[in-house]
Amino acid sequence: MAGGALVALLASVAVSYVSDHRAGEKSLTVPAPTAAVIARGAYLARLGDCAACHSLPARPAFSGGLRMRTPIGAIYTTNITPDPSHGIGRFTLADFDRALRFGVAKGHTLYPAMPYTSYYNTTPEDVAALYAYFKYAVPAASVPNRPSDIMFPLSMRWPLTFWRWLFAPKPSPFAPMPGMTPEVAKGAYFAEGLGHCGECHTPRGIFLEVRAATVADGPAYLSGAVIENYFAASLRSDGPGTLGEWSADDVTQFLLTGGNTRGIAFGSMSDVITHSTQFMTSEDAVAMAKYLKTLGFPNAAAQAPFVYDATEHSALKNGDASKPGAMLYLDNCAACHRPDGMGYERVFPRLSGNPIVQAPNPLSVVSIVLEGSRTPRTGAAPAQFTMPGFAWRLSDQDVADLVNFVRTSWGNQASVTTVDAVTRTRSSVR
Amino acid sequence: MRQPSLFDRRRFLLGAAPAVTIAALGVSACAQRNGHTDPSTYSPTYFSAAEWVFINAAVGRLIPAEEGGPGGVQAGVPEFIDRQMELPYGHGAYFYMKGPFLPDSPATLGYQLRYSPREIYRLGIAAANLATQESQGKAFALLAPVDQDSFLERMEKGDVHFPSVPSLVFFGQLLGNCKEGYFADPLYGGNRGMLAWQWIGFPGARADFTDWMDQAGRIYPYGPVSISGVRA
Amino acid sequence: MAERKKPVDAVIIGYGWTGAIMAKALTDAGLSVVALERGPALDTSPDFEYPRIADELKYGVRGDLWQPLAKETVTVRHTVNDTAVPYRKYGSFILGNGVGGAGVHWNGMVWRVSPEDLRFRSHIEQRYGKAFIPKDMTIQDYPVTFAELEPHFDHFEKVCGVSGIAGNLRGHIRAGGNPFEGARGDEYPTPPLPEIYFGQLFDKATAELGYKSFPLPAANSSVAYTNPYGVRLGPCNMCGFCERFGCFLYSKASPQTTILPILADRKNLEVRTGAYVTKILRDKTRTMATGVRYIDENGSEVEQPADLVVLSAFQLHNVRLLLLSGIGTPYDPGSGKGVVGKNYAYQMSSGTAVYFNEDVEINPFIGAGAAGKRAIDEFNSDHYDHAELGFIGGSLILAGATGGRPIDQMMLPPDTPAWGTGWKAAVRKHYGHSAPIGTLGSVMSYRDRYLSLDPTYTDGHGLPLLRITFDWHDNETRMAAYTAAKIEEIVRAMKPEKQATALIRPGDHYDVRFYQSTHTTGGAIMGSNPGNSVVNRYSQSWDLPNLFVYGASAFPQNFGGAPTGLLAGLAYFSAAKIRDFYLKSPGPLVQA
Repeated sequence: MAGGALVALLASVAVSYVSDHRAGEKSLTVPAPTAAVIARGAYLARLGDCAACHSLPARPAFSGGLRMRTPIGAIYTTNITPDPSHGIGRFTLADFDRALRFGVAKGHTLYPAMPYTSYYNTTPEDVAALYAYFKYAVPAASVPNRPSDIMFPLSMRWPLTFWRWLFAPKPSPFAPMPGMTPEVAKGAYFAEGLGHCGECHTPRGIFLEVRAATVADGPAYLSGAVIENYFAASLRSDGPGTLGEWSADDVTQFLLTGGNTRGIAFGSMSDVITHSTQFMTSEDAVAMAKYLKTLGFPNAAAQAPFVYDATEHSALKNGDASKPGAMLYLDNCAACHRPDGMGYERVFPRLSGNPIVQAPNPLSVVSIVLEGSRTPRTGAAPAQFTMPGFAWRLSDQDVADLVNFVRTSWGNQASVTTVDAVTRTRSSVR
Repeated sequence: MRQPSLFDRRRFLLGAAPAVTIAALGVSACAQRNGHTDPSTYSPTYFSAAEWVFINAAVGRLIPAEEGGPGGVQAGVPEFIDRQMELPYGHGAYFYMKGPFLPDSPATLGYQLRYSPREIYRLGIAAANLATQESQGKAFALLAPVDQDSFLERMEKGDVHFPSVPSLVFFGQLLGNCKEGYFADPLYGGNRGMLAWQWIGFPGARADFTDWMDQAGRIYPYGPVSISGVRA
Repeated sequence: MAERKKPVDAVIIGYGWTGAIMAKALTDAGLSVVALERGPALDTSPDFEYPRIADELKYGVRGDLWQPLAKETVTVRHTVNDTAVPYRKYGSFILGNGVGGAGVHWNGMVWRVSPEDLRFRSHIEQRYGKAFIPKDMTIQDYPVTFAELEPHFDHFEKVCGVSGIAGNLRGHIRAGGNPFEGARGDEYPTPPLPEIYFGQLFDKATAELGYKSFPLPAANSSVAYTNPYGVRLGPCNMCGFCERFGCFLYSKASPQTTILPILADRKNLEVRTGAYVTKILRDKTRTMATGVRYIDENGSEVEQPADLVVLSAFQLHNVRLLLLSGIGTPYDPGSGKGVVGKNYAYQMSSGTAVYFNEDVEINPFIGAGAAGKRAIDEFNSDHYDHAELGFIGGSLILAGATGGRPIDQMMLPPDTPAWGTGWKAAVRKHYGHSAPIGTLGSVMSYRDRYLSLDPTYTDGHGLPLLRITFDWHDNETRMAAYTAAKIEEIVRAMKPEKQATALIRPGDHYDVRFYQSTHTTGGAIMGSNPGNSVVNRYSQSWDLPNLFVYGASAFPQNFGGAPTGLLAGLAYFSAAKIRDFYLKSPGPLVQA
């Protein structure tokens, strides 16, 4: 029995070894690194937001070192500067491509914290441009890589190979779905690929694999997911709590400036906007927006639009704060978000009809009430607005009452938040 | 034109009995939230026992319990003053306290004494008790209320001679801190239960009148809220 | 031995309104700039956050956002023959501290002078004759005109999102605005906020008397607004915690809410807080500034060399630093010689408190520093005939409280007992049913009103404090009495239960114990030649062509109104000249 298990184990390791060493394309033509190619690579690196994980503020750009928690221990991002010893200075284009799209580097499969599961669709030209950028334009930094905190035997890599087999999309250059306009196809290429939206916005299964990788995979794709202490909204247009009320222009504005008249970015998305999407060309942002607006039921346009309801505002304006949570709203929120729930355009987000406020999972709302939030600073919107946290001022019951008020007022219709949910969130944000 | 609202708190308070206790007003929960203690159980940090007796007696006359609304003692003003004495304010940290001191400068040029608030209280209370002892054979706190009032009036005018801090300076310090303690946010130990805010109709830390800017002349219907989020 | 920093193109002393305006202008031009601020870094978050900012005791009474007097204050005396004593506790005026300076906790009133205010001496002489001006009144004309400054007033108003109604739009007098204002090139950037209830009562009363009331121009944008720099401003909700407090809504204009967001990522700007400048340094010939010396937050002396020095440290500190640095000749009131410290002036404040019966819901807590208030300009400046009156100047008359904060803004009739059951009954009766009409009155400059260094008292570093020699002159008390009578007429038309006027009467001395105004002016005045001023029309020092001094220190006398609009306009006017001429060819911009 034990012997059989041991043989199976050894076979698995061997198979994994072979697979990792054979992954990738055999031969790739390396184009000349012209200024245009390098600029394209720099642009794509922004789109892929490599800096988000590989660049830390106090260290040389792209020298890694960001600590990322996994269920089995912390891992640290690697040095991807062209340093020959610690970075990717000795990588050939094939090596680079293998890491980026196949998730295999230095003889083993990468933890899928590196979103190769999204980057898999990058075209050969774009891979080459990225390679040229990292090899020729990024300064080499002799910063050693920090080994993970994962203890043996959990630190063995071979199970990742199996994970990659089972769950990673087959690396192949992006192919548009039938009926996609070239513009929407370009948007899909970015969103499904370098933009890696699904890594946060698509729910995951028990093996932490995303339930859907592209629009072709059905309604789970970008349907919203829990990430850290937030619920990342559904980016689809199929009902309340999604982007159904947003136009393509709203989405474009959001990507380029961090907000629109319907909402303002928070949490990790603030960083994404600040470091990545605000630098998109408007054509690319429009393309991505138009692609996102295709996600939804076929009759998305025919769904009942959001209707503002003035009942709660009228009550407050007339001295009636009898609805549960109304007085809490008046004492904590109304000064900025206004008694009509409309916020103040591009300063304090409106709560009425806001997809995050109406999302089935109230986690973002609860976290923001407890911790506050800060809007992203972008070139187009240089002023930053900060909401203070209210954890010190409100009990768990208060937060539940308040969140329930907000989620059921001014036309919002969303599920009940329990006190237990608040208690759990409070202990995890601490 | 007066438009009654659903909840006219000030009318309610006018009908309330003046001698109501803190517990009966149901503010013990918010007292806990604000770190308040029942006025009868607060133990001073700065004031000695005798000074504490003086403070309570004086505050009880400066803001009495009669005529509706909270009295100063009920509102926790003595606790407020005691706690202020332990803060930088009490030590004079907010004032320029370098010499030379020219106390005979014109009054219009402001405070020119060398005393911090802590010293003003220490010296002033001692001098006041000495004065009442000499003139009426009792410490201030043991005088009848009408005699306490007369003495306070004399101090206010500077008609009592004090050896160090002039009596009107001491009186001014005390009255000023009294009103601060009566009306400041409850987190400082006074304005217990926000009763003083309710008494006058001040909404406290609500700081939002979005809906009321264009309802000029209408009674504002909501009661006060404190910085720590407690509602009256 | 002071640490010597790497030289930069420009160093800015004091990072409030004019410091921020100049930081933007100079970094726009590509200069490397270091801004030194002696106070802390302050920003809406975390420093003015809701609800903790709504703390009257902490910010409105103790003054946690203000300059700590324990470290540095001023001394005050009434006449040259008196001994000045320290301003030990806050009263008469409030001094700013930290990034944003007084621009954080001001009222937000953005006022344009009347055109004649800028040439007041000539105007009065022309209208009433030279003899009309007393010999000891040392008022002067500005060397710059309203027309030259108008585009810069306009720009500052747009930067702040000022709400108001134009009264004179390109020469056309418009209903609802101030008919006395100088011609504006453009409307206000945002419309006025709803007026407070007392403002409505004031409008009715003033209309009956034939006066033209208008909304006080307020640096609180009233609609969703983005300023010319791309910075978005928030909404005012009349929270009643305005002046003395930082704004938690990103609404009251401050350097933080209007300019600093676009400076945040500029690589050629470095801001150092906790940097207390003690001296402006000069070369051996004493004809050029070479930088500054300051004490950093560790207490160490540091030298920052720079080619250009901007002194934007608030009116009082500007003058003090010039005196401490030995720049220019200190003014001597005896001989009348010297210019540094000359022509100090203040603001004449008076007012009438109006007490209504309990049916009138004033809701005083609904208020803002400027928004929602109403004003009339009929009795300001030289808008009315002074021939028979025996004084010059006037007052802007403003209606309404800025809030209803119970410790500091409680309004009780003068016969109210200060304590006891009578006091208690009075606060109950009058709070919520009383309101003030106040004035911002002009104060002329005089031979015997000036600033100098104190011979006795020092700051925390052992440096002499600034000494204010100031008291009221009859011109101002007569003017105040006149406008007070006009206000009483307005109040009678409101038919209140009671009214009470607070007035500084002839013979009353300047009393530092009561808050009046922070509009201290003069001491480094602007003029046509080095004999009569410290700076020229471009705010450039006559002594050191690479030193520019900004703030109300430039005003040769004070007018009826708030100073920020004018001092910002002068800064923008200067910045344009620096950009277009000085940087290309450094040197005196005006031939003396």
